Amino acid sequence: MLIYDIRFLFIYMFFVGNLIFVSKNKHLLVVLLSLEFIVLSIFFFFLVLLMFIDYDMYMLMVFLVFSVCEGSLGLSILVSMIRSHGNDYFQSFSML
Amino acid sequence: MNNNSNKMFFLFILFFSTLISISSNSWFGCWIGLEINLLSFIPLISNSKNLLSVETSLKYFLTQSLASINFLFMILIKFSLLKNFNMNNIISIMMNSSLLMKMGSAPFHFWFPNIVEGLSWMNNFMLMTWQKISPMILLSYYFNKNFLIFMIITNLIIGSLGGLNQTSLRKLLAFSSINNLGWMIFSIMISENLWLFYFLIYSMMISMMISLFFLMNMYFMNQLFINNMNFFIKLNLLINFLSLGGLPPFMGFMPKWIIINFLLINKFYFLTFIFMMTSLIIIYYYIRIIYSSFMFNYFKMKWVNLLMKNNMSLINLSSFISISSMILSTFIFM
Repeated sequence: MLIYDIRFLFIYMFFVGNLIFVSKNKHLLVVLLSLEFIVLSIFFFFLVLLMFIDYDMYMLMVFLVFSVCEGSLGLSILVSMIRSHGNDYFQSFSML
Repeated sequence: MNNNSNKMFFLFILFFSTLISISSNSWFGCWIGLEINLLSFIPLISNSKNLLSVETSLKYFLTQSLASINFLFMILIKFSLLKNFNMNNIISIMMNSSLLMKMGSAPFHFWFPNIVEGLSWMNNFMLMTWQKISPMILLSYYFNKNFLIFMIITNLIIGSLGGLNQTSLRKLLAFSSINNLGWMIFSIMISENLWLFYFLIYSMMISMMISLFFLMNMYFMNQLFINNMNFFIKLNLLINFLSLGGLPPFMGFMPKWIIINFLLINKFYFLTFIFMMTSLIIIYYYIRIIYSSFMFNYFKMKWVNLLMKNNMSLINLSSFISISSMILSTFIFM
């Protein structure tokens, strides 16, 4: 299938990332990885958009800082979960 | 993490993040505020001493980060379609959906009662009041009227019907919060001043309820009638619950009155019907709780005696305000 517009690629990447996020996985790490994949697709999209403003990429760096912070927050919650439950399986959620 | 200076630090950043989000010049600044909100709220609720709080903070993180990432993607799509106004409907629906997911509004509400069940009362207070400010104000900047009216109806119905089968007080207040979100989203569409008015009165009522439950250390419904409560505590409970439900002489009726007034003047008859009927269901299950605790005593145990504690004068003052403020407020506009 020929795609003439690059926005379709970004929407496809974003959609696939969301799909993996909401799918039933065994590990929590897969969910966090899918979140990082969505961040990657947004990074790429942002890069292409900002190229039309004469290569003004500062906003991209700010976005990168915040999404890295969020990714590290996810990992710290994963670590906290492993310390208390022993693994990161979704089946060990039984409280709520 | 019982360290108060840590909590103060993260609370300061939490307050600041909402201010960043609502006072930014571009949508990107709004997204930054939402991210900092998430970053500073998670340390406040994660307390590695028990399994429940780990699971709670994990669920909160997953839903909120997904919502804010989707929000950013929709902002970028909006930015890339410069003069193509055909896509405005879809983009505004997607942006509103991600903001509704951040707020815990139906149909994206499934995380909300679970997380409210896992938090302590003070964290619940922050979640139910402060965390809703920034998504609502962002919603008011770019909303799709037809989509939001449908969401309001969903909110009202789920908030009222969901609370019918609950025994946990936190989940009850969570569903009541979802119902009140329906009222608040509609008040955003009327005017932002009205939203502010509704939000302030709602947060005052919720703070009264939560401080009452916090001082009594009550988390479940059977604790309301199994204890031998003092009469004045029960009276406080009655006044607060009825005020939250929106019955007339109490303070909680005032913002609902203004919204109903607007609805009827502008001929939104079907929506008025749904607002009224769902309010009725909510008042039903509040009165069901108070009825058991106020009038019947299942066990009158002599050795569990809840008295009026020393620091309850503020709660008494707030109950007095609940009763009298609506009547007194009509004297201002004489």
